[in-house]
Amino acid sequence: MSDRIEGVKKLFTSKSARVETNKGESYYLDLFEKCQTRLSELRASQPANRLDFSGLLNDNGIDRRDFMKWVSATTAMLMLPPMFSPLVAEAAELMNRAPVIWLELQDCAGNSEALLRSDGPKIDEIVLDIISLEYHETLQAASGFQAEKQLDEAIETFKGKFLLFVEGSIPMGMNGQYGTIGASGETFHDHLMRVSKDAAAVIAVGACATFGGIPAAAPNPTGAVGVMDVVKGKPLVNIPACPANPVNMVGVVMHYVLTGQLPELDSLLRPKFAFGYRIHDNCERRAHFDAGEYVEEWGDEGAKNNFCLYKMGCKGPMTFNNCSIVRYNEAVNWPIGVGRGCIGCSEPDFWDKYAYERPMANAKIKAPTGGVEKTVDEFGLGLLTAAGIGIGIHAIASAVGGKKDDGGEA
Amino acid sequence: MIKLIEKIEGEAKLNFHFKNNKIDKVDVDFMSTRHIEDILKGKSPLDALVINPRVCGICGHAHLIATVRALEDCYEKIEISNKAKIIRELTLNFELIQNHFKWFYLTIFPLFGLKQNVMKAVTPSQLMGKAIALFGGQYPHTSYAIVGGVVCEITQMDLIKLEHYIDETIGFFEKNLLDVDVQMLQDCDNVMNLLSKSGDLVDILNLIETNGWLEYGKSYDRFIVFGESSYFAKGKSIKTRVMHNLSLADVLESASTTSFAKSVHYHGKYYEVGPLARAMVKKTPLIKDAHRKYKDSMFTRILARVCEISQLLLHCKSLIAELDLSEPSYIKPKMEITSFNSSGSSAVEAARGTLIHKVVIEDSLIKSYEIITPTQWNLCGGVNENHGVSQKAMIGLENTEIAELVFKSFDVCSVCTTH
Repeated sequence: MSDRIEGVKKLFTSKSARVETNKGESYYLDLFEKCQTRLSELRASQPANRLDFSGLLNDNGIDRRDFMKWVSATTAMLMLPPMFSPLVAEAAELMNRAPVIWLELQDCAGNSEALLRSDGPKIDEIVLDIISLEYHETLQAASGFQAEKQLDEAIETFKGKFLLFVEGSIPMGMNGQYGTIGASGETFHDHLMRVSKDAAAVIAVGACATFGGIPAAAPNPTGAVGVMDVVKGKPLVNIPACPANPVNMVGVVMHYVLTGQLPELDSLLRPKFAFGYRIHDNCERRAHFDAGEYVEEWGDEGAKNNFCLYKMGCKGPMTFNNCSIVRYNEAVNWPIGVGRGCIGCSEPDFWDKYAYERPMANAKIKAPTGGVEKTVDEFGLGLLTAAGIGIGIHAIASAVGGKKDDGGEA
Repeated sequence: MIKLIEKIEGEAKLNFHFKNNKIDKVDVDFMSTRHIEDILKGKSPLDALVINPRVCGICGHAHLIATVRALEDCYEKIEISNKAKIIRELTLNFELIQNHFKWFYLTIFPLFGLKQNVMKAVTPSQLMGKAIALFGGQYPHTSYAIVGGVVCEITQMDLIKLEHYIDETIGFFEKNLLDVDVQMLQDCDNVMNLLSKSGDLVDILNLIETNGWLEYGKSYDRFIVFGESSYFAKGKSIKTRVMHNLSLADVLESASTTSFAKSVHYHGKYYEVGPLARAMVKKTPLIKDAHRKYKDSMFTRILARVCEISQLLLHCKSLIAELDLSEPSYIKPKMEITSFNSSGSSAVEAARGTLIHKVVIEDSLIKSYEIITPTQWNLCGGVNENHGVSQKAMIGLENTEIAELVFKSFDVCSVCTTH
């Protein structure tokens, strides 16, 4: 036991585990210059499509003020200081210089769907229009052989320059025959390898493409794996969650256009700007957790008063994602907001390890260890969850002490 | 000659056989699968509520509602509040509506040589996505429905937002698809009156006529609807004769050797499902009129799907008026679902037609789970000389371009078809 606590302490206090929100003035000044150089190079380059950003804004009745609001929000989301706002605005206009190819493998199209519903007010949609989506099976007009040809041309034209977004897992069972594409019956695996070879970077989007997702849930009948299990020797970013939040997809493209580099990643290759904190850290129901006020069963008084869902199986305390900040569907709502709780969908093997209907308080579930970055929680939560008992004690104490009406807190 | 059809989701492979310059036979194969039914086996029944919406990113909500109803069907008696029933039906309708918009603008529109306009597909589907998120937390992939009701506790404030989203969507419909007041459209019973109006739907319908395609896309003229709701009626329609007596037990699947998709039949016969089937069984005057003139051609099919948008939007408004927020969202079932052995089934109307779930629970775990999707009904190849619905509709056409259009008038969704 003491060994384990020591181990966990070490993990939490190690330097790489921190999300640095302030890297110092000289760092930012240096980065600012680099971004300026990058943007002027981009401006001089040939756009991949001729869409005009400010024209599109006008067409859609969006004034400069709305646009600048979006720019400030995006700058903050990328964890950059306000001085970068004008550069972010410029980068948005230059997004048509970043060719994107989007592949769908063993998926449900949920992430493409999410992308279609990206955050607004309408500006991300326009960004979506202007991102040079060279190839996307669902969104493009061409299909079949015409589409295959289009893909080959896009690879050739933008060799070494395009960002490859991948949605869906790769079935390795039965020699890859659980998923084939095209008339030649090329397996998803071979298809991915062929296209990724010439990509500048590969962005795995959604739970399936990152860590296997639902298809990889036991008994994993098709032998599904994530992109990072098969693509080696390429810059790779994971944007997990089911579905991945479109804000984070746009964020990664934006960062790439702005800096020419991929954003800072954690040890699971997730961008820290989005996955640097746990759901729990910024949860709107956190105060109820701290006060020991829980939903004890569906539909009870706690549920009606938006109490903490931890005892109903919410995985927010061990899930790294920014849902609690950016929410979904233009920030209308998110799962905890309607009282269903977090299922931990942005963590590896989320189904087998977490599954929603197993409240952590009485399950043998450990927080993901083994190099996953974590931040130290003042409440001692992270430390205790990792040991698998801490929250248990907290939650049980409130249950033993009766429900919230007797004052609750142990 | 092989043709690949992709869109809206995933890929289908069509192999055309020609005889005397006309399509004589088409093999339809789906080439990717995840074996979701096997993943469900041996898991807790309540896990299905979270796994099943992930069968499909474009109609996942129908899978959620089908799952929760199949689980509730395992009980001899279970009480669900009227409020929870209405909320489930609302979110399901919103999903249908946004699918119809996307199919029309992303899939059908460019096939007529018109420029694909992503924004027109995105704007209304975003509005409907927001409407679902109000109750469900997010779209796609929500799991807010649970055995015994729903988890959300909505307020009057949410309803005000909701009505706003609906009104905006109605406005979009009238401005872009069909320049007719949606209330008036409800009473229209002559399709000719529409063709003189303006709008993207009218353009498409007129193009079908001017291109001489009015005969294209006819199949068996046999329709089936299993998913009952406060709007849709259950029944089958064979050459306009409607019968309402159906049994889920007579729906059977058969596996194929060349495709991952299984075909579905009722009493050994193939039936078309979807908006056209729903309108035929419900006897919607406008669609009946189009059917009288053009039978089950793609003209009638496209018209039926687009007009379902306005019908459902108006129906949603009346559903909201019936909502009593003081009712409970959730009523705890008398027994845990894991405490007894049982089986249950359900049918709901998804965007593309009837979706069926069947579950068997034994020793607290899922013993077996069967999912039958709308696209299996419409798109799967038949067994031997018995052609499937879409296969039959393509026979006799002169070229593969037209065949693609006919095939897509049923709407491809291969992730659902194979799951």
